[in-house]
Amino acid sequence: MRSLLHRMNPSVKFVLITVCMFTMAFFFDPVTPLLFWAGVLLMQILFSQTDWKKWLFFMIPFFIMAFGYFWTTLVFAKETVGPIIWSIRSVHVTELQLHHALSLSFRVLAFSSLSLLFALTTNPVTFILSLMQQLKLSPKIAYGILVGFQFLPVIKDEFIQIQQAQRLRGIVQKKNTLQRLLDTRLVLIPLLAGAVRKAERSAFAMEARGFTGERRGGFFHEILVDKVDAFLGVLFLFVLVLSCTNSFWLG
Amino acid sequence: MHDVISFEKVSFRYPDEENWTLNDFSFAVQKGSRVVVTGPSGCGKTTLLYLCNRLYPDNCDGILTGNIELFGKDSRTFIAGEINHRIATVFQDPDAQFCMQTVEEELAFTLENLQVKREEMENRIKEVLALTNLTDFRYSIIQQLSGGQKQQIATACALIMEPEILLLDEPIAHLDPYTAKRYIEWLDQLQQNRQMTIVAIEHRLDLWGDFFDRIIPLSESDEPSILPKRMTSIKPEISIQATKIETKTFLKPASFSLQRGEITILAGPNGSGKSTLLKALCHLIPRNGLIEPTFLGYVPQSPEFLFLTKTVQDEVAYGGGYGVDNMLQRLKLMDIAASHPFSISHGQKRRVAIAAMLCDGREVILMDEPTSGQDAAALSELYQLIDERAHDGTTFLIVTHDMEFAYCLADSIILMEDGSLTGKFPALAVWENEKLLLEHHLLPPKGLMQCEKSFA
Repeated sequence: MRSLLHRMNPSVKFVLITVCMFTMAFFFDPVTPLLFWAGVLLMQILFSQTDWKKWLFFMIPFFIMAFGYFWTTLVFAKETVGPIIWSIRSVHVTELQLHHALSLSFRVLAFSSLSLLFALTTNPVTFILSLMQQLKLSPKIAYGILVGFQFLPVIKDEFIQIQQAQRLRGIVQKKNTLQRLLDTRLVLIPLLAGAVRKAERSAFAMEARGFTGERRGGFFHEILVDKVDAFLGVLFLFVLVLSCTNSFWLG
Repeated sequence: MHDVISFEKVSFRYPDEENWTLNDFSFAVQKGSRVVVTGPSGCGKTTLLYLCNRLYPDNCDGILTGNIELFGKDSRTFIAGEINHRIATVFQDPDAQFCMQTVEEELAFTLENLQVKREEMENRIKEVLALTNLTDFRYSIIQQLSGGQKQQIATACALIMEPEILLLDEPIAHLDPYTAKRYIEWLDQLQQNRQMTIVAIEHRLDLWGDFFDRIIPLSESDEPSILPKRMTSIKPEISIQATKIETKTFLKPASFSLQRGEITILAGPNGSGKSTLLKALCHLIPRNGLIEPTFLGYVPQSPEFLFLTKTVQDEVAYGGGYGVDNMLQRLKLMDIAASHPFSISHGQKRRVAIAAMLCDGREVILMDEPTSGQDAAALSELYQLIDERAHDGTTFLIVTHDMEFAYCLADSIILMEDGSLTGKFPALAVWENEKLLLEHHLLPPKGLMQCEKSFA
């Protein structure tokens, strides 16, 4: 049970999540995104092996953003008519304001945790393969991205090597973060010069293996759509519909 | 025996160059033969290879005249990808010829390109792995394999296409001599089993023995001159003293000392910690131990990693040293003093790097693999550069796999294995000690063997 979301077909997951996001965009009350957020979390708890520490770490900026939305909407609201339900010093909050503010911040939380659900349960390589097999992404783009993945560790090694070599020339690592960021420019030039050469060599190697970018007849590693996807698909839509129709059953 | 590749008066040039890279070149390869094309870098070897597998002229908009026939048909009549099924290629750089993570996926990638049916893939993968003795590596992650293993995998990926011709683009340039020798023996066995045609380009034939039936020199220049054995320039005073240099995880305590003007080669198998030792000595990575002096020069395999400025002159002057002009003159860099350091040749880049190090007042120079991928002319230039500097009193510690080069240059040899120093030996003592050589994946240099022959 705990691996269902990981086993799900990435393209199906991707389409479902996109549909959910578009639908949620049309609801402006606070309860719908709140319920949906709760639903997403519940699904993630039940059907995935998420590292929740990592999840919390990635969510920190979104929590801050959600609170920011909440606060600015309260303080800088355009319409301030209606009964005041809450006052902090000179800030008087009307019901409508609170409504808007909560709606915005829950929406941020719902969208971000939905995206995290996707990111934390999907293997990037499988995702690309699935995009190529189910959503007919061109092999030219798909394999381009896959080769890019292979380069990442090499680029990282080279980045460190260049930094080391430049330190020997007397480049001191600055304490100031901004200056340090500006200094990476010096590392990037040799790094990119090398990367361009490597990329060309890889392209030649692919072509020499008979790669033409045409659609392929068969795949060795087939990414299938099966019962798990149907089950989770229905579940996603159920959560979506349930949260969108809350005004009926919550009264 | 009919010709599978035939070039008739072929000339080729790149669109932005005036000189013809190949000029009126004709040659033919018979089915089942083993042919090697040799010549210094820049003479058009790689171009020739790319014309054979049709990567050129389409990929560079090059200008081509003359006739190229592959399998008795005009090469232009093949559609895209068609010729690559019959002529497979193994490239030089083990790190830039794979697209997928594991060996199995990489083989499957090739089969998918050929539009092979899914049911057949499993069998063909099994077959080629058995043929190449690589069955154990089926699920290995390619990036974690050694250079020699990667080249074997690349060859297996080429063979799974069941090609009629195998093209090799300096396949052993990045391997240590022992691994290279093993690769060649393995390839020899394969060719006998599969009866395919092999066409290789290679600038050094030392290790290949009598593998090839026919050698085609591409440039008109004579045989590359064999480097002379240099006169030593050791001076009595100690120039660098390292005591118990170690890193936390890999490098075990290493102590040694070098004299002024001494040239020392640091050798050992791939992955034995040679580069790590160099970096630890310059304190580029955290290390324990004592070193005197602490101010050392270091030239990485890609010298451009060091460059920080926009002209060669600024580059040499960057450390704030005196006598920049003098240094430029001595290292023959005056003509390119105003050029951008990225736009000059590889040999010149290394010259600039060394000039910059010397100008900073770093009298000990550590070099990481300066010989890999270099042809005879570049090696002779490097040899001269090091020889001259050493006579001026610079001390060198050089990592290299090239034992011919080491034989001509070295006063002493430091051997390493598995992160620990075996010891420092006089060069001659190492060449004559077969056990020591074998343990460190080295082969005795040919220079020595010729010397012995002439005495006998």
